[in-house]
Amino acid sequence: MTSLLPQYPFSPNPVLLFGLLLLLGLAGGELVRRVLRLPRIVGYVLIGMALGASGAKLLDARLLEDSWVFVEIALGLVLFELGRRLDLAWLARERWLLATGLAESALSFGFVYYALTWFGVSPLHAAVAAAIGVSTSPAVVMLVAQELNAEGQVTERAFALTAMNGVAALVLVTMLLAWIHHEYRAGWTVVVLHPVYLLGGSLLLGYCAFWLALALSRWLGKSAQGQFALVLALILAAMGLARMLELQVLIALLAFGVFARNLDERHDLMAVDVSRIGQVFFVVLFVVSGARLELAELAAGGALAAAYILARFAGKSLGVMAFTYFSGARAGAAGLLCLALTPMSGLALAMVQGTASLYPEFGAKLAAIVLSAVLILEIAGPLAVQFALRRAGEAAQ
Amino acid sequence: MEFRSSSGHTMGVELELQIMNARDYNLARDAADLIGLLERSGHPGAIKPEITESMVELNSSIHATHATLLAELENLRDAVARAAERLNLRIAGGGSHPFHEWSERRIYPTERFKHLLELYGYLAKQFTIFGQHVHLGCPDGDSAVYLTHALARYVPHFIALSASSPFQQGADTAYCSSRLNTVSAFPLSGCMPFVHSWGEFLGYFEKMRGYGIVESMKDFYWDVRPKPEYGTVEIRVFDTPLTVGRAAALAAYAQALARRLLAERPHPPSREVYMLYGYNRFQACRYGLEAVIVDAYRGCPVSLREDILETLEVLAPHAAELGSGAVLEGIAAGVSAGESDAAWLRRVHRERGSLNDVARLQSERWMGRLDAGPEAAAERSRAG
Repeated sequence: MTSLLPQYPFSPNPVLLFGLLLLLGLAGGELVRRVLRLPRIVGYVLIGMALGASGAKLLDARLLEDSWVFVEIALGLVLFELGRRLDLAWLARERWLLATGLAESALSFGFVYYALTWFGVSPLHAAVAAAIGVSTSPAVVMLVAQELNAEGQVTERAFALTAMNGVAALVLVTMLLAWIHHEYRAGWTVVVLHPVYLLGGSLLLGYCAFWLALALSRWLGKSAQGQFALVLALILAAMGLARMLELQVLIALLAFGVFARNLDERHDLMAVDVSRIGQVFFVVLFVVSGARLELAELAAGGALAAAYILARFAGKSLGVMAFTYFSGARAGAAGLLCLALTPMSGLALAMVQGTASLYPEFGAKLAAIVLSAVLILEIAGPLAVQFALRRAGEAAQ
Repeated sequence: MEFRSSSGHTMGVELELQIMNARDYNLARDAADLIGLLERSGHPGAIKPEITESMVELNSSIHATHATLLAELENLRDAVARAAERLNLRIAGGGSHPFHEWSERRIYPTERFKHLLELYGYLAKQFTIFGQHVHLGCPDGDSAVYLTHALARYVPHFIALSASSPFQQGADTAYCSSRLNTVSAFPLSGCMPFVHSWGEFLGYFEKMRGYGIVESMKDFYWDVRPKPEYGTVEIRVFDTPLTVGRAAALAAYAQALARRLLAERPHPPSREVYMLYGYNRFQACRYGLEAVIVDAYRGCPVSLREDILETLEVLAPHAAELGSGAVLEGIAAGVSAGESDAAWLRRVHRERGSLNDVARLQSERWMGRLDAGPEAAAERSRAG
């Protein structure tokens, strides 16, 4: 009979891990909010750091690997929601907004690239690191906006720009894979076909998910509950398929969101808010992000991280300051948008992880450059967004 | 308080409008940005803030004819719609937003509105409802007092013709105009007291001011009230219609009615009208054109629809004089067919099954965008 009883040492399982991470994250978030009056996200990240590589080392590589699936689900939900914030009709009408998005993406890429090469980073590493820096963390913007119940032009435009730079970053990083393959002497077929497969395949997967969502929502009718479950099911299925087919999960989900927003001409899909259920996954996302970051790396790469952050901020700010006023926003909105675009977090980690899974050695070098900056922005980013949205008068009273 | 004389038969319109987001078509809170953008793009003063950040008020200038009023309203509408689209907002008519929650509303930050929140508490946020006010020019204070009383009999007409607030807080209220129930909650709502001259009215006003109950005419939320600084009588029971075309047509109806009432003085002011006022007003709110009201002068129940059609006939010569004969005939045709904005909204809800779609189509209709896009054909075939 003894074999039916648990054996020591107990082996943890992912479900237990999820529960514990959620519990600890919630406690950390609440403490930080009550004691320091900072956004909860900061608490999630700090708990993660305390548990992870920089702290008690309770979350080791194996547990982090186990928890990565939750991170992916969280990012999938975030990117779908982000895709639905990309209103192409708005961009077509308000070209200055489109110009703002293109300019801040291009300039932040250029500035970071030059700053890094000036510091002696090889062009390829600099290019990939810069491409990752183009994106603003959608999860941070979304969570802070939700926590503040923020609503208004600065919030809306922060989402629109985050969506645009997310698309830009994912496309850039995928295209740069060609260069990485070339560097590592992969054959020409791989150099050309792999990025094409990733982009094309992920887009197609996103489109299929959208098409199914549309067909099934017509059948379901306008039931918020039904459509919520439908969208959630399709998000999870698309994520699983993307993994199975070695596609880019993030691109597929972002595309699903963009199609859902822009191609649903008869308005069959309801605007169900999947990010609300995402809350619990977001907590785990930030705890795990925190756990992956190493304070030790910051000491080594501090100067580089500072250069990275400053160049990125300068590039984004220049693009935003140049065009925002012409795009109909009030005076003063541009400065606040610059702040709102600073966060980097899970999406950046996932992009580093994506390249590392192909070429571990390249990934390690890339991580050394990017992760110190992410570490700083994990803490500073939420504060910047919170300040921007409050100052804009868009937080709930 | 002097009554500023207006030349006869002029009119002006104020429209309270809804600002929606373009995602789920809930109310947005971008009034300040929208007003700011219009200031910048050459339409200063086109719209003004209202009590919550989800509303704006559009004001016409003074007009003698329906044609010029309509032209100006369309012009303003296009400017507001263009500015709204630059901010990815939608503007809509209709007396209520179908599913917003009042507790989520935020007060527009001016001293007056903050004071109203302080004073009225949740009523201030529930006041996120959208009405059309029609100003009718009067030569002097005594005529304004007469016109205010005389119009009281026609308040059910105005309610039924404009009713466009069947939904509130996510549910069908069973009313055609649910908006006026919200107005009724305010302590200074209702009707002007039964005074007979401008002098008597001033006496009443000074007494109320002496008690510290009001500071200005603004503090009376009456259904119909004299507005001495404009030299007008203001009708405030209209729901904002779904289109500016309808808004201009309703103003033309009120204009022709005022012309007749002032020129012919067909009835003396009557306490009977006020005795039946609450009942008749409720009937019109609840049942719209299908209501049965009691006519104080004839002393019997009448079908509201028939009463409006009879009134339109009587007004025909006046409308002809004012150049709005065809407009009033259009109203009559709609009334005969039983068409109303409330019915349109309910039909959209039945067909679409979601209030988000109701709000979306409501905004597309107000912005004049319903004639483009894939849904236009279906709408046109239905309307035709």
